[in-house]
Amino acid sequence: MRHIGVIAAREVRSLFVTPAAYVLLAGYAVLAGYFFFVGLGFFVQRLQQVQQMQMFDYLQQMNLNSEVIGPSFGSFSVILVFLIPLITMRTFAEERVNGTFELLLTSPLSTWEIVLGKYLGVLGPILAIVAISACYPALLLLYGNPEILQTLAGLLGLFCYGATLGAIGCFASALTQNQIVAAVVAMIVGLMLYLLEFLAQLTPPGAGQELIRYLGLSSHFQPALEGVVRTQDLVYYAIVVTFLLTVMRTAIESLRWR
Amino acid sequence: MSRRFGDLVAVRDVSFRIERGEVVGFLGPNGAGKTTTMRILTGFLPASEGSVKIAGHSLDSEGIAARRAIGYLPETPPLYPEMRVDGYLRYVAAIQDVPRRERSARVERVLSGCGLREVRHRVIRTLSKGFRQRVGLAQAIVHEPKVLVLDEPTSGLDPVQVREIRNLIRTLAEEEGRTVILSTHVLPEVEAVCRRVLLIADGSIRVDGSLEEVRGADTLEAVFLREAVRGEASPGPGEAGEGGDFA
Repeated sequence: MRHIGVIAAREVRSLFVTPAAYVLLAGYAVLAGYFFFVGLGFFVQRLQQVQQMQMFDYLQQMNLNSEVIGPSFGSFSVILVFLIPLITMRTFAEERVNGTFELLLTSPLSTWEIVLGKYLGVLGPILAIVAISACYPALLLLYGNPEILQTLAGLLGLFCYGATLGAIGCFASALTQNQIVAAVVAMIVGLMLYLLEFLAQLTPPGAGQELIRYLGLSSHFQPALEGVVRTQDLVYYAIVVTFLLTVMRTAIESLRWR
Repeated sequence: MSRRFGDLVAVRDVSFRIERGEVVGFLGPNGAGKTTTMRILTGFLPASEGSVKIAGHSLDSEGIAARRAIGYLPETPPLYPEMRVDGYLRYVAAIQDVPRRERSARVERVLSGCGLREVRHRVIRTLSKGFRQRVGLAQAIVHEPKVLVLDEPTSGLDPVQVREIRNLIRTLAEEEGRTVILSTHVLPEVEAVCRRVLLIADGSIRVDGSLEEVRGADTLEAVFLREAVRGEASPGPGEAGEGGDFA
């Protein structure tokens, strides 16, 4: 298991010597910043209206977390559905094109070490994304008093959600030599999981609805935006990631047979 | 061992044993099964039937120990184009289980041995084909494996580089006692570095013996042409020979 760190470190270094990583992260910073400041602008506008109408009861209820930070993180999560596949698409597909997959498979490494090393390497840029996301609420600390713990819960949710998308992306990359195919497959699967909530709302109440809701990503991500860290959500992320890593391992083993 | 891809039998009952320190030339026409055999030997592809033992370790039951004993240069050197030469070799040393303390010394050693000192800080993408090939050879020997499997190690090199690589292979075998299996279609290469010849055609071994035995009174080329054609279903005129007709 000692090779995992070596593989992960190489993965991160290789990503950050290409301009692609910086373009992706800078693009994220711009988009996320746009969503955040538009959200903040609407909040300020509403605040002024409420003050003018002297609705002091309502004014008491307005707060930065539920009206600016939470909804912004919700918008960030939509960006990530499309952004993370662009980070993960190269993980295995590029190795196969370079021929370095032969090096990995003929080295004294277990398949688990390869899978976990690659996946940890992907968590690096995902952490960077979460760090960028943290900058915007941090700016609010200068002008207001957002709830710090509630914001941290949202960031933790964003990370777990991103880590799940990362596992989906790595798996897609293990299936193909073509990076574009890997990215598109990961986006579609990610988006479907994200939108499963709509299907749940259409389904008549009962076990079926609960199951669809449970499988979807949003039902586990939403509580975190409200500052609620639920064990059942963490268990969901753990199950999904473990499952994906296991099938990734099988996919790589089966490559030897093709 | 045998290896099938669907209905195609790429390697059929190939069996051989190579002694420590031997340099074996693995010959055969394109598509004969050389690369498949080497991929099986290195544990990249599993054999459909049969088994492989590397330096006493079975690839099936002791895969990691067996793979540790092998250095492998595939047909296309397995390089990360965005890495620097020394960083890449250090990475390979790490995944090949070279102890941390020894990594720098080993990397320095192969950088000198393969003539890579002057390009050690270069990004691999910017290297010429000859240098890439040498980096590929360097990664195969950085962990000082007992067995070296080289798939066309001198392809794409100029005559000076070819001579350097051949000298390096000879040194590895004669002075360091490493076992070398190298595939090639360059017959003079076999005569220059190998003491034993394995000729594979159509997935089966046709010739196995020392260079002198195999050559006999003929040239190696005559043996190659004769054995590569033999047993083909209905070799059309010029179909089997190199540079025959282009129809």
